[in-house]
Amino acid sequence: MFNTHSTFQIQQHAGICLLTVLLAGCGQQRSPVVKIGFVAPLTGDQASQGGSMRNGATLALEHAKAHGDILPGYRVELVELDDQHSPTQAVAAAKKLVADPDVVAVVGNLNSSCTMPASAIYHQARMLQITPVSSNPQISRQGFDTFYRTCATDDLQGPAAALFVVRELGAKRVFLLDDMTTYGRGLANEFEKKLRALGAQVLDHEGITQGDKDFTPLLTKIKALAPDLVYFAGMFPEGALLIKQRAEVGLGGRFMGGDGLFDPVLIELATPQAAEGVYLTTIGSDVHQTPTAKDFVQAYEARYGSIGAYSAYAYEATSIALWAIGRAGTKDRRAILAAMKTLKDYPGVFGVQNFDDKGDSLIRDIGLFTVNNGKFVFLKTASWD
Amino acid sequence: MGLTSSILMSPFHLLLQQLANGFTIGAIYALIALGYTMVYGVIRLINFAHGEVFMVGAYLALTALLILGVAQPLTGVALVGVLTACIALAIGGCGMLGLGIERLAYRPLRPRPAESSGRSGQAPRLAALITAIGVSFFLQNAVMLLYGATDRRFPAFIPARRWEWGGTSLTLLQVVIWLTSGVLMVALQMLVMSTKLGKAMRATAQDPTACRLLGIPVDRIIALTFALGSGFAAVGGMLFGLYYNTVNFHDGYLTGLKAFTAAVLGGIGNIPGAMVGGLVLGILEALGAGYLSSQWKNVFAFVVLVGLLLFKPTGLLGERVADRA
Amino acid sequence: MSVIVALIFPLVHPHSYHIDVVTTAGIYVILALGLNVVVGFTGLLHLGYAAFFAIGAYAYGLLNLRLGWPFWVGLGPAAMAAGLSGVLLGIPALRVRGDYLAIVTLGFGEIVRIAVTNLEPWTGGPNGLLGIAHPVIQIPGVDRYDFGVESMPYYYLVLVVAVSVMMICVRMGRSRVGRAWAAIRDDELAASCCGIDTFQLKVLAQGVGAAIAGLAGAIFAAKQGTITPDSFDFILSVMILAMVVLGGLGSVLGVVVGALVLGTLPELLRGFEQYRMLVFGVIMILMMRWRPQGVFGHPPRLRA
Repeated sequence: MFNTHSTFQIQQHAGICLLTVLLAGCGQQRSPVVKIGFVAPLTGDQASQGGSMRNGATLALEHAKAHGDILPGYRVELVELDDQHSPTQAVAAAKKLVADPDVVAVVGNLNSSCTMPASAIYHQARMLQITPVSSNPQISRQGFDTFYRTCATDDLQGPAAALFVVRELGAKRVFLLDDMTTYGRGLANEFEKKLRALGAQVLDHEGITQGDKDFTPLLTKIKALAPDLVYFAGMFPEGALLIKQRAEVGLGGRFMGGDGLFDPVLIELATPQAAEGVYLTTIGSDVHQTPTAKDFVQAYEARYGSIGAYSAYAYEATSIALWAIGRAGTKDRRAILAAMKTLKDYPGVFGVQNFDDKGDSLIRDIGLFTVNNGKFVFLKTASWD
Repeated sequence: MGLTSSILMSPFHLLLQQLANGFTIGAIYALIALGYTMVYGVIRLINFAHGEVFMVGAYLALTALLILGVAQPLTGVALVGVLTACIALAIGGCGMLGLGIERLAYRPLRPRPAESSGRSGQAPRLAALITAIGVSFFLQNAVMLLYGATDRRFPAFIPARRWEWGGTSLTLLQVVIWLTSGVLMVALQMLVMSTKLGKAMRATAQDPTACRLLGIPVDRIIALTFALGSGFAAVGGMLFGLYYNTVNFHDGYLTGLKAFTAAVLGGIGNIPGAMVGGLVLGILEALGAGYLSSQWKNVFAFVVLVGLLLFKPTGLLGERVADRA
Repeated sequence: MSVIVALIFPLVHPHSYHIDVVTTAGIYVILALGLNVVVGFTGLLHLGYAAFFAIGAYAYGLLNLRLGWPFWVGLGPAAMAAGLSGVLLGIPALRVRGDYLAIVTLGFGEIVRIAVTNLEPWTGGPNGLLGIAHPVIQIPGVDRYDFGVESMPYYYLVLVVAVSVMMICVRMGRSRVGRAWAAIRDDELAASCCGIDTFQLKVLAQGVGAAIAGLAGAIFAAKQGTITPDSFDFILSVMILAMVVLGGLGSVLGVVVGALVLGTLPELLRGFEQYRMLVFGVIMILMMRWRPQGVFGHPPRLRA
């Protein structure tokens, strides 16, 4: 017994020493560097969107560098972290970024359920956070002065969709679905509020779980209620399955969703035939039809091929973060935050960019798209009142 | 494929459609459940890795389709040919995988015949379970590395034909799934009941020691059981990919658990039980999701499982495991 | 000696991220110790341990958010809630044996996780609970220290709790109850013939193990500030089980080492992020092949 005890002591002591040496060794840097964190789902079922955002961010960094030194004397790098649309991983990534003294700003996340908890951590660390596409309005209402977003919010997207559904599609009986995430539930609730205010009938409002595959019983149940339209607030992996299985089950009527559906993979997974005629709203206008975005579109398509749903927003968010760093002229997080507050009339991809005191973008376009012949087709900018 | 405007369905037709939905997923559960039940019957091991074998089957079928360059629905000879090719590759690959797992991971842990056959505590049982889980992790991750972590699209090569009757709809795909699994299950039942091999399998399940004394190559029978079960899971995987049009390396876990529930539901070790269990579970899920709530769908499976194990562990048709001294 | 090293570690190496990693490993140590009571001491196959971790975390989270209870007040009730649920779950579950018990516990674990995901009004659904208060030490009239997001205070908190739990487990293992558990582990039938109420003791084991998990859960919730259902999945249950098995069933020291190694391994392997689960799986297979009793366990005894 005594023997094992001292052997164990030695083992543990050696282990801790080794660990310390190893870990200390990891922390060495060579030349001064300034980093921007980038957090999005880079693996998993939403990886295509996260990846296209990463492309946008990388492009923004390159363009900024091409225009000269962002911060004289420093290299600027992008630190990519994967959150796999899991709030827990988003929190872990946030903690990691915040603990790294070289990281001075962050572009992230994609999903509102990730951005929300992460924003508290960035706020405590006084670090600038710009989310490209998290549209849940609650995030900017927490009173965090570190939070900014380059897209419209769901308290506009939901009502815009409701107006379209009632006034232009003439739907009277609607069935609501959401994926129970911060984003999905929030958007669906906004949609429902406006829908009721307009006098349409909400047959029911149900939730599905992300990652679920079999919706045929649910869709069959909806079919029995004969709605004019099914509205789904959620992301494209589940959306694609819903659209495909709805066709198999023979559920008639229309199908509409939010910006979470806006990914070409949706049409591919749902099959173009089933996806024909599906409507959706987006949290910004069509980037192909925006004159100020022309250079970005050309550069992106030349480099990466077709533009993803959120690439432009990531590009915008990263460009603005880089601008703030340059404007501050120093590696200090608080200085960069202060610089961000001075932003006025920034010439961005979507036009002249300004932020209100909550951090929301003042560009509040809601785009309206439909699926036609296997492609997304821009209809118009929707109004929400 | 034009969609007519919704018509109100009668409750009868609604029920019928939900049953059809349940039957379809149930058939897939049944195919996977067979593997669990056969393996448990012969060596009393819950093969945790079986769900991953199912998932590998789906990916192998996907690979076959990618190699053949299939992207559109097919008809006639091409359809049958492609179907056969997929099944062949899936069964072949998974059969070998099953054999490999048995040989490398599980067989070394089995007490050798020379040692006592009495109970030796929980340690070996736990060791087998941990090994099985280790194999499961390994397979999941290997597939993720090979094929990527994103959902892969499974080409829909069955023509999208649909029949409607008073609101109840049925697709050709569903019929294909029913027929394929039905044929396979009948074939298995015939194998087990009417052939010498089947008799050897049943004997091994009942009393391996006696079998060894009688000169039956028990180790080989066990290996064959694994291979057979894996082959069935492989077909289940292919059908799963066809039905949902996407495959993900994570699919094996949940579906595997549900299939295991189905096996226990029917009576673990009992082959017709696994078939019945699978269908019953699929229908229960569909009815639960359709009439109660979609969100709690997965909970139904687990509640059924737990309830069964607590109150009627022998299942619907009674379990068939070896007697232990 | 090792205690001194553990005590001064964060002071000589003030790299907050690394301290955080070791602290997380420390939480795993507490969990592994708890599961060791169930699996190692008593020999019950348990695949749903993460559920008790979740119950402890959510209990503290809800007590804090809804009732405003600070950490030190909520810690005890959280552990008790988890322990109680262990007993309640144990009463039906522990009637079955062996493999069936493993599956029942797995089922319970999943049911708890899915229920938490679905009961949105109470648990915040898939988005979880946000804004849980960190521990605050308040010396009336003198000072107020909020743990916040710093890593050092949590390190010491976890260290103290882990060492305490360790000592309690060693004591328990040597007590009459502990010996009774060992008897059940080795041969349940014989134990019951000796007059031991095996059922009661098994339920007690699960209750104690669950309470320890609840303790860890409350600490976890207070540290993270945010908890979501996906932190408490089956993979976690398996990881804790692996720590117990690989470290050595029943050996308290072994389990601690197992937890420290496996708890820090994911971070050390960060460069090989993608291969992490692969390596983990291979380790499990190989360990079971060549040393199924774990690093510190006793070799399995042959029976006549």
